[in-house]
Amino acid sequence: MDDKDREILQMLQGRFPLESEPYKVIGDKLWMDEVSVISRIARMYEAGVIRYIGPFFDSRKLGYSGCLAAMQAPIDQLDRIAGVINQFSEVTHNYLRDGSPNLWFTVIAPSAARRDEIIASIKQQAGVEDVLVFTSRKLYKVKVDLD
Amino acid sequence: MDSKTRQILCELQDGFKLETRPFKRVANKVGCSEEEVIEIIGKCRDDGIIRRIGAAIRPEQAGHAANALVAWDVSPEHIDEIGEALSELREISHCYERECPEGWNYNLFTMMHARSEEDLRNLVASISERFKFNGFKIFRTEKELKKTSMRYFEAEKL
Repeated sequence: MDDKDREILQMLQGRFPLESEPYKVIGDKLWMDEVSVISRIARMYEAGVIRYIGPFFDSRKLGYSGCLAAMQAPIDQLDRIAGVINQFSEVTHNYLRDGSPNLWFTVIAPSAARRDEIIASIKQQAGVEDVLVFTSRKLYKVKVDLD
Repeated sequence: MDSKTRQILCELQDGFKLETRPFKRVANKVGCSEEEVIEIIGKCRDDGIIRRIGAAIRPEQAGHAANALVAWDVSPEHIDEIGEALSELREISHCYERECPEGWNYNLFTMMHARSEEDLRNLVASISERFKFNGFKIFRTEKELKKTSMRYFEAEKL
């Protein structure tokens, strides 16, 4: 990744141009032609730097209920328990972290009832004593910035 | 939300195809004009249904080797001041106040992205000195087990 790539990423983190030819608009701002912008983005997709370009929805405004959840999984059962958690399409993120609890995942469901049902099912299938649930009270920031 | 908006958002929920005119494709699919697609997306952004349009990156691929969830124990009277100040930091991508279960006092959740473990430690140390915290806990990212985008829209059944 070079400086030009970083400049493009920076632009893609901000306000994506809602124009007929958005990559041309980005190119114009960076003194690059549209083809170079698109081919650099394609390379960043291939390299795994970019995983998605598009809209990010506010799940709450769409009526969804989400939460962050955490549990302590015994290391020798990690694969099995990760499988239990990941089977739900409503689980969008799941990370192994150091410290305790060590498994942290997010659930986004069409209703609070469905969300609680998923948590209960995970708890039961994983065979853990407790799943900690953290619902959001206030969003201060959600964005990934790069320098 | 009307049916046309729903159809457009459904077409877009897996992201834009990388092409010169991404909105034209959606317009053709949905059966309206490119201008209309752009206008409706803009309206959803103004309404906040779309909170942003742009790229999702993998921080670890972009040179951020040390990523961590850091949870801070903040008194209610300081939470807005600290939450807003931490949101200004470019190393912090997510910052939420969360409702916590009993016995858990770390109510301000931040995702941090640093270039090295040392940078991460320095960052946490400088933040912990700058503001009034009752404590904090670092949960370093060891392994990504799942990362997907939520699909909110089902294709309309005809």
